[in-house]
Amino acid sequence: MKDHVNTVPEGDLPAGSLGRRAFLQGATAGLILPFAFGLTNRAAQAAAATPTMIGAYIRIAPDNTVTVVIGSTEMGQGIMTGLAQLVAEELQLNWAQVRGEHAPASALWPNPYGNPIFGAQLTGGSTSMMGWYMPMRTAGAIVRDTLLAAAATKYGGVWSLGQGGTVTDGAVSHRFAELLDVAATITPPSTATIGTTTRFIGKTMKRLDVPAKVNGSAVFGMDVKVPGMLFGAVVHCPTLGGTVRTMPAKPANATLVNLTNAVGVVAADTWTAMNVARSIQSRIVWNLPADTSSTDSAQLDALGQSLLTSTTATPFIGEQAGNPDPNSATTHIDATYSLPFLIHAAMEVMNCTASVTADACEIWAPTQGQQFVAPTVQALTGLTPDKVTVHTTFLGGGFGRKIETDYIGQAVLMSQAVGRPVKLIWSREQDFTRDMYRPKALIRVQAGANAEKAMTHLVYRNVSASINLQRGYTDSQNPEDTGALAGAIGMAYNIPNRRIEFLALAPCDVPLGYWRSVGESYNTFAVESAIDELALAAGLDPLAFRKTTMGGPNADPRAIGVMNAVQTLSGWGSALPAGRARGVAFLKGFGSYIAVVAEVSKSRAGEIQVNRFYAAIDCGTVVNPGQVTYQMQGGLLHGLSAAMWHQQTFVHGKAQVSNFNRYPIIRMGQVPDIQVKLVASTAAPGGVGETGVPCVAPAIANAWARLTGVRLRSLPFYPGRTMGDA
Amino acid sequence: MPRYTLNVNGQNYTINPSSGEMPLLWALRDLVGLTGTKYGCGIEVCGACTVLVNGQPEKSCNMSVSEAAGRKIMTVEGLAADPVGQKVQAAWIAHQVPQCGFCQSGMLMAATGAVKAGHHGAEIAHEIDNICVCGTYGRIKQACQGL
Repeated sequence: MKDHVNTVPEGDLPAGSLGRRAFLQGATAGLILPFAFGLTNRAAQAAAATPTMIGAYIRIAPDNTVTVVIGSTEMGQGIMTGLAQLVAEELQLNWAQVRGEHAPASALWPNPYGNPIFGAQLTGGSTSMMGWYMPMRTAGAIVRDTLLAAAATKYGGVWSLGQGGTVTDGAVSHRFAELLDVAATITPPSTATIGTTTRFIGKTMKRLDVPAKVNGSAVFGMDVKVPGMLFGAVVHCPTLGGTVRTMPAKPANATLVNLTNAVGVVAADTWTAMNVARSIQSRIVWNLPADTSSTDSAQLDALGQSLLTSTTATPFIGEQAGNPDPNSATTHIDATYSLPFLIHAAMEVMNCTASVTADACEIWAPTQGQQFVAPTVQALTGLTPDKVTVHTTFLGGGFGRKIETDYIGQAVLMSQAVGRPVKLIWSREQDFTRDMYRPKALIRVQAGANAEKAMTHLVYRNVSASINLQRGYTDSQNPEDTGALAGAIGMAYNIPNRRIEFLALAPCDVPLGYWRSVGESYNTFAVESAIDELALAAGLDPLAFRKTTMGGPNADPRAIGVMNAVQTLSGWGSALPAGRARGVAFLKGFGSYIAVVAEVSKSRAGEIQVNRFYAAIDCGTVVNPGQVTYQMQGGLLHGLSAAMWHQQTFVHGKAQVSNFNRYPIIRMGQVPDIQVKLVASTAAPGGVGETGVPCVAPAIANAWARLTGVRLRSLPFYPGRTMGDA
Repeated sequence: MPRYTLNVNGQNYTINPSSGEMPLLWALRDLVGLTGTKYGCGIEVCGACTVLVNGQPEKSCNMSVSEAAGRKIMTVEGLAADPVGQKVQAAWIAHQVPQCGFCQSGMLMAATGAVKAGHHGAEIAHEIDNICVCGTYGRIKQACQGL
């Protein structure tokens, strides 16, 4: 590729670091980025018999199929289809001629496949449609204008777009494929005006990847086949922080590779590799950390509790306004919420195929973080990014875990050690015990309401393990950038007097990472539980109290809009059968607004039974309503499993949960009825991948409190459950 | 190394696993080269590795090659050549079931096995206890309704 220029300012986001939250907020004002396009290998592609790239994103083949090359990763959210719809709209294609493809990782900076919001080529923060909506439409429009210019050059006269990948002068039509030879000689315009049709945008187009996902042909990371490849497994030190002191003798049927905190095993098949990994576990001599207080859940809990009430520690102030004086209130709450480390638990375990030679490296990986692959390879092998090729496969779920590159680096070292391509697949046990976990959080909320039923003040202290601090990012002085306070600042609630604090739960050496809905996943539980507690304490309707608190001169109509929508959808306030109650929760986040009502009852065993969810979301312009709805359904169920059952705990540095049998995922017979309402909006697209998750736990806790009078402030609601008794 | 013949989707494959104890899952994926069957947990909990053995859904992570040899194995790659399998696939497409898709091979095989066992409609979904972290259960139920 060459000549790709976009206007992401250089230096805003150095490759290899991700100042995620601050950059997102800084960028929301300008999502439309002008693009300059160049033709790829113009001379080489001049022959019309070869597929032709016009710009970086659209390839037209001689059979007139149009392939949309996406910088985002398809991990189930349907983004390949969504982005292809944008191009199909601008080129007035027939859906049957549209294809989707993952972009290669680009070594260029600015990166043409980097999400325009933050520049880096990665998929996270629910930003794919947010970031690519205008750029992909514009890319389609540029290709349209290029093809029209090619038609004018080739045939003379004035041409316009026809249907199904054609141009027409009103009398004669030509397929795009007939224009490729001339198009390859034309310099595309630097920008173009998007169209006004809505044949694809706003329509539930069928997903491009579904056929391959029902016949076994879809290639996920672990399905990669490379000639001559061997198979790998890995065994990490069971104690976090431990390193290899002595490896056991080489078994006859495998090669062992020292990976510092793990031993890699390369063998003729995966089963042999995993068996060897298991069998050598007790024979590896590890250097163990002398002190495991920073990797022990009980000790981290105790540290967190002390920080919650500490008057000597200096918190980071995420937001402050007025004077949060409790004396202004007639009703008070002071509540502490507790949330555990969580495992990403994607269905597809971590895996990577690597082929390393003296002068090149090829990677096939289910990665959400293409930007970081080449730097990882370079650090391990010295090979510069131009020598590194990265193929992105489909992901069997990512949820943030596959942004990381630890598993990629291991495959690189193993391939290097044996001089052959290696497909490394972690066992599920390794996947669960060596995750980069959703941070543990303890949150204290002090709030009050006055006699006029208005919220007077909020003092909020979040004590949680910090991703940025752990990674030594240069912006670690701004812990908000980790998302630590996301969901608790910039809220739609207008609380005149407030102080929102963060204190890192540190030292914490449990590996941390970005888990679907990041900071919002814990702050929303605290915020939405607390506001409910305050409403009930003041004798107010929790939904009405939220709307009141959102009101006033700064009211955000989209926030109130989803509250109204969920109120209607759920029949809020109407009579329920005996033994049922409703709870509500709200979130402004990921560029969207969502309100969720949970309807719960008590099971025969006296436990929480979620009977129904109602969700109303305003995510701005909707490209594919079906996919948005599915993301909401899936997010709600993901949140439900997590709220009910999920936690990882550590005893002296050893992870306690190692497979799904102790990390139950909701199953067919347990799924509540779900109704989703998409609130119509013409605003710019917001995010939907993470938006469905955070409101679930507080909506359930709020419903349970109304049903039973018992307030649940600690997640999960039922720790220690197994798949059998969940 | 022992030698086994596996009959998969009507075709015989002769393989030489390091041991007859190798799970069918890994024999299919690494030796036969059919990767549609997925590894999810290895302990028969998640169902991603479900295949049909003599028409019955079985978790291939815990069935050895020596047990599987001599039986008729069907994987997701074989559905298109099976009348019931075709219907199940068509229903999955019509209802746009998959999201990430990783668990769907197992879901499709479990559903196909349930239909072959004589179940209809809602009974089919009732027979499936596989897990899907994306949460596609609602559309699986819809897809099963018409079968």
